[in-house]
Amino acid sequence: MFRYIYKKIRCSLLKNIKKRMHQDTLPGKNNSERIFPDLKRNLEVIKSILHNSSDLTIHEFNFGHDRRFKGAVIFINSMADKGEIDKNILQPLMYGTLMLKKDADMDFASIDSVRKNLIPITDSLKVTLLNDLLDNLLAGSTILLIDRSKEALVINSGQRRSRAIDEPATEVVVRGPREGFNENVNVSIALIRRKIKVPDLCVEKMIIGDKSKTDVYIVYIKSVANPKLIEEVSRRLNRIKIDAILESGYIEQFIEDSSYSIFPTVSNSEKPDKVAAKILEGRVAILVDGTPFVLIVPMLFIESFQSSEDYYSRPFHASIMRIVRFLSYIISILGPAIYVALTVFHQEMIPTQLLISIAEGRERVPFPAILEAFLMMFTFDILREAGVRLPKSVGQTIGIVGAIVLGQASVEAGLISPIMVIVVSATAIASFTVPAQTDSGTILRYIYLALAGLAGGFGVIMGLLVTLIHLASLRSFGVPYFWPVVPFDFSGLRDVFIRMPLRKLKKRPKAIVYGGFDSYNHNPG
Amino acid sequence: MRKKMNLPIMKLILCFFMLFTLSGCFGGREINDLEIVVGIGVDKDENTGNILLTAQIVREEENGNTEKNGGGENGAFWNVTSTGNSIFDAVRQITHKTGNRLFISHNQAVIYGEDIASEGLEKYIDFFLRAHEMRPTALILVAEDRASDVLETKPKTEKFPAANIEKLVESYVFTSQLYKVNMKDFASRLMSTTTAPVAPLVSVLQDNGNKDIYVSGLAVFNKGKMVGKLNQAEVRGLLWVLGKVKSGVIQVCSPNEQGSAVLEILEAESKVTPKLRDGKIVMHIKIKEESSLSEQTTTENLATDPAFEKMQKASEEIIRQEILAAFDKSKELNADIFGFGEMLHKKYSNEWKALKDNWDDLYPSVELKIDVEAKIIKTDLLKKPAWQSEGGK
Repeated sequence: MFRYIYKKIRCSLLKNIKKRMHQDTLPGKNNSERIFPDLKRNLEVIKSILHNSSDLTIHEFNFGHDRRFKGAVIFINSMADKGEIDKNILQPLMYGTLMLKKDADMDFASIDSVRKNLIPITDSLKVTLLNDLLDNLLAGSTILLIDRSKEALVINSGQRRSRAIDEPATEVVVRGPREGFNENVNVSIALIRRKIKVPDLCVEKMIIGDKSKTDVYIVYIKSVANPKLIEEVSRRLNRIKIDAILESGYIEQFIEDSSYSIFPTVSNSEKPDKVAAKILEGRVAILVDGTPFVLIVPMLFIESFQSSEDYYSRPFHASIMRIVRFLSYIISILGPAIYVALTVFHQEMIPTQLLISIAEGRERVPFPAILEAFLMMFTFDILREAGVRLPKSVGQTIGIVGAIVLGQASVEAGLISPIMVIVVSATAIASFTVPAQTDSGTILRYIYLALAGLAGGFGVIMGLLVTLIHLASLRSFGVPYFWPVVPFDFSGLRDVFIRMPLRKLKKRPKAIVYGGFDSYNHNPG
Repeated sequence: MRKKMNLPIMKLILCFFMLFTLSGCFGGREINDLEIVVGIGVDKDENTGNILLTAQIVREEENGNTEKNGGGENGAFWNVTSTGNSIFDAVRQITHKTGNRLFISHNQAVIYGEDIASEGLEKYIDFFLRAHEMRPTALILVAEDRASDVLETKPKTEKFPAANIEKLVESYVFTSQLYKVNMKDFASRLMSTTTAPVAPLVSVLQDNGNKDIYVSGLAVFNKGKMVGKLNQAEVRGLLWVLGKVKSGVIQVCSPNEQGSAVLEILEAESKVTPKLRDGKIVMHIKIKEESSLSEQTTTENLATDPAFEKMQKASEEIIRQEILAAFDKSKELNADIFGFGEMLHKKYSNEWKALKDNWDDLYPSVELKIDVEAKIIKTDLLKKPAWQSEGGK
């Protein structure tokens, strides 16, 4: 049923995409011309393409022993490091050549010669196409153009300003590395490289986004990752046709298997140790410039319940926390639903004393239980959303208002029964123990509540069945999402409900691994 | 084309919704609309001869504010009565007083007045076995006078008389002089053509205007009619044979007959083998009992082999007497409370066909062969009494 709807929608989407692609190719925006040998003309062309933008700086200068060569540096004022341009480009060219006794044996009209003899910067690149020149210019590089040369030198001057390596706000750990990725993708790659020091670690670059031209890197270990998986990842990434990638979430939504599922099939992390562990298991990481969130594919459902700390602490405590997380997830999606089903449909299942207490608490409540539950859950979601959006200093106020006004006062006013407050707050707390599934849990909670109000325990069971069927049918990049429960794999269960000692976790997960199956592996999943 | 492809999906959606509508799962009732019944009493209306039903209902609003009005005159419960030709009629008549249908899933006990029990329970128990809300684990009791009086008596520690009665009946494990009988047990004995149903007796003790509920003894039924009562010792005699003795006290004379020794039953098991020889029915009852010396009122040292020997013999005799007392009473009432008939049925299924029809005549002629093996296994914390007489040394 869902698949059919999905196909229909996808079909119409494809038609749209085709139409757009057709439109894109029509106008003659063809910039793939070569650079002209005439400096003047080049500068004119660049100026006109950039519409004389005010932050475009073109500095023309003469150099050589007798100043017979003409050159120009072009850069975007706001992005380039001017001090470095002065010191490492203009100074050697203008003063350095002046001090040469004679420059007859050096041909400064050739970019190669200039690059080799005069520019003391490692990160430079020779381009011949105007298009490449513009791309690099807009990415923040400095362009050196020399009259009579058909090439230009792209110099990556100046450090890009980036945040210091910081502790990630989303994945806080008690034990484990505190460093997190950052918006500068080069820093992020360095953090992974520092964890995995094998020549096999491949970093593939891609540029996605017609207008943002965002750097996207695919990182994997060639001998461990399945080549088909790598192929599939690059295929899906190449398929993306979009103006801008502002966050890795854009990519996630374009490459995920089923866009109409409430469950995420691409995981993300801010922590290098976690990403490194997943790469070591044979997964592929996708790093996107401009965001600290790194995508990892394929994703399994159980990964949501695994924390990197499970592997850093000893197995006993880790196993208990695993079970706590599973139970919390069940409470978080079923809590209000079970309460409503029991109190409205199956009162005989509640122990007598408890039933009497519940009845006492509900005596003055004017709403039916389902409406009461819905009101409380909705209020909690409002509080949560307000708490996230507000500045930290005001956020505390929200907590107080929520706890006292809505919790205590509504009970005293007789609008909500005290047990409902307990159920909803327990549900709310439980929902935060599994961060990866918080989104899906919120939706499921409302669905199950509606089913419980409609048909009691029967409705909840129906809902659970549909959810389970859906989960079992999901796939993430060819890997069954519900592995190792469906399809059942006993050896995979060593790291699901309990975490066996690391000595017993020698093998990589069967569902993901491709080569080197027997190799030693003890990594956080 | 489009319509054709949609059809199976429409069917699926239809099936999904039919699951909800056809299964009849729309019977939700808000908890506020429930009249939670914790106990039911069935009496005979003296004037009209109709059924007088007393339902003990939880008063939610009173319960919530007990601190404010100190329990109040009305207390935590409300006993509603109604009369009717049948139990179900009476149950539905009650809605004119309560406004809501009774919710009897949490009913702890059904108490029958003695007049109803003597008349025969068959027609008054059907509703409770048939109603889907009723639990088969609800207790069944017989009041020595009127059931409504029992339900009126406010317990000192519990909130609800019915819940208190359940607690009292549960306490049979400490003395083994009472037997816990629930609806299911009672019905299964009632369904058997030979076994006589039993139900614990409950009464109200009056003492200086202080009313207390007291449970003791069993009411014995024959074919659904109450025919007699077993006293505490006879009840334990019954439980010895059924193997339901959990604990209890046996008091025997001390070996030198100056005081007594009190033994606590720790474990007991029984094995009954029916024997049918030359038309004579003999039941071999084998009891194994273990006890500890819990108290002694003499100063002699009882922790000696000869003393143990004597006390074991004495307690064996007491157990035998209790069984015989229960058996004599059952012969007198001609009620097979032990279920001997069923045992014979299982072992001699061919011969049973002939015996079955005149079991009532045969039962008094059943003979018992009782083998008791009592053993004292410990003396608790003391070996010798704290103060010993000269002679005891």
